[in-house]
Amino acid sequence: MKALYRRLGHKGLISLGIIVAALAALGTLPFWLDVDASYTGYYLFITCVYLTVAQGWNLIAGYTGQISLGTHAFFGLGAYTMAGLWLNGIGLYFFFDVTLMVVAGIAPAIVASIIGLLLLSRLKGDYLSFGTLGLAQIVYVLFVKGGKITGGANGIYLDASYFSSMRVYYWVALLVAVLATLAVWLLTRSSFGLALKAIREDDISAASHGVNVLKYKVLAFAMSAFLAGLAGSIYGYYLFHLEPASVFNMNWLFYPILMVVLGGTGTIIGPVIGSLICSALFAYGDIYFGGYHPIFSGFLIILVMRFMPGGIMGLVSKAPALWRKKEGAVATTTPE
Amino acid sequence: MTILLQVLINGVLFGTMYGIAAIGLSLVFGTMRIIFLAQGSMIVLFAYLTYWLFTLLGIDPYVCILISVPVAFMVGLGLFYTLFKDAAAIEDKNVSLLLAVGLMYMVDNLMLTFWTANPRFAATSYASYTIRIGDVNISFVRLMALVIALLAAFVVFYFLKRTRLGTAVRAASADMQAVKLLGISSNWVMAVAFGIGIGLAGLAGVVMASVYSFDPNYGFTFALKALVALALGGIGNVWGALSAGLILGVIESLGAYYIGAGWADAISYAVFILVLIFMPNGIFGGRAAVKKV
Repeated sequence: MKALYRRLGHKGLISLGIIVAALAALGTLPFWLDVDASYTGYYLFITCVYLTVAQGWNLIAGYTGQISLGTHAFFGLGAYTMAGLWLNGIGLYFFFDVTLMVVAGIAPAIVASIIGLLLLSRLKGDYLSFGTLGLAQIVYVLFVKGGKITGGANGIYLDASYFSSMRVYYWVALLVAVLATLAVWLLTRSSFGLALKAIREDDISAASHGVNVLKYKVLAFAMSAFLAGLAGSIYGYYLFHLEPASVFNMNWLFYPILMVVLGGTGTIIGPVIGSLICSALFAYGDIYFGGYHPIFSGFLIILVMRFMPGGIMGLVSKAPALWRKKEGAVATTTPE
Repeated sequence: MTILLQVLINGVLFGTMYGIAAIGLSLVFGTMRIIFLAQGSMIVLFAYLTYWLFTLLGIDPYVCILISVPVAFMVGLGLFYTLFKDAAAIEDKNVSLLLAVGLMYMVDNLMLTFWTANPRFAATSYASYTIRIGDVNISFVRLMALVIALLAAFVVFYFLKRTRLGTAVRAASADMQAVKLLGISSNWVMAVAFGIGIGLAGLAGVVMASVYSFDPNYGFTFALKALVALALGGIGNVWGALSAGLILGVIESLGAYYIGAGWADAISYAVFILVLIFMPNGIFGGRAAVKKV
């Protein structure tokens, strides 16, 4: 305990305590709340799926500074990879097959590496956004027009008799989301993460300090696609009926981005807060506002970006400065 | 042969819409480095304006240009000063991109809620006129669209090359820092560029309402196509953007005819990615050093 205290300090220990308590509460939730009957079960499940995608986008956009707009393609690819393999009897024969899910992550990661290598080796910044957006539209058309292989616009039907309880979904999604967050956190604290942040701040400077910019950008991009694909496979298990219009939906691109940005780009806790808030808005907005909620979602994106571009974590980190200002101290930093 | 010619002409005429939208995007992107994804939604919004003016008040779509473009310009100025002014000043382009995304989302869904997803079309008396040259049929409204696009491109080109403000806009695209040092109000320059960008969306909206049936879901597709045309034409090049729009129209029209209607999108995006990879300066950019944006 003492060694832990020395390593983490006062604040770190408190954070660790909160995280452990939250995880214990969330992990045991199905035992004291009927996740099948309560809407909360679905809400937390979808939050975890979004969070996995959001942490992936956070890694490439928040920590590396490269805006990818192809997340929905990777998400859909993951879902279809899982479904295609399952239907063809490849992989072990049980529901939520780990190998299938990992392969469902690797497939989009490979696509991301190829397109990333091609685009990033010669171009910077906005061109990646253009290119990934174009790629996503191509993938969408390929799946709609895929005929027998992809099931076309009607999509693929999986055996829905596997559905037994929301509990399994909840636990798998929670586990994956926690692992994804942990992985991104560990990555950003390693030398890998340092390289990413160096690229985000100034890639010419990073390159001149011996960072292989292209390698790190592509690796981060592939990681982000992996997480999107993984989340896609989980959602695919939930849907049982995959169609291009649902798994390649632009919402799988914009919602995770909104979550990351609302919470705080380039922070590890930001996407968690953001996904909890946004999924609540989307999930309950559907119930209480019906068809009107996308209008509010759009308006919310505008409000957040206009008045707090740093997100909630940005406000939190600014809060102590505001407080000091009230006491008469001179604010040293001006927001850029 | 006749069919090929007809397909080509249809493509060119269809591409005029992309061309007008791309010129607007090019101005916005050039000065502010903002990927204005809401451009397509703005076009649809002004297409609705034209449609309602025509349906409710009986104002001819071509007369609507006199109303729609100034309104769009003012909307552009308003959007710039309320939303994009601060976002354009910060290095992190996520902010402005997401502002545009939020705007697109909101506008699309507002239109969807209030005006439903029913396709609309300003059915003027002359909408079905065709001009026959040899064996080729040319629709009158589509030809008018091309004429309007050429005029618009000329006006923007003249503005950029011959007026002081236009020169400032061009200078801002080249080096914003230097423009500020010269004592030019960077905000005003960006606001004007943004206003013209949205003004062109207003113009494209008139064309859209008079030529095609449209619905609120068109916006995003159109924004993407305009982006493709922008990348093809090279940023900050008025005629490049217009020609790229026409070329994109031809590519889609050929693809739709020879490969299949559903494939047209995939083909144009594939061309887009290939151009990004191999000719990052656009097809008219030559082999000069890649401009790192």
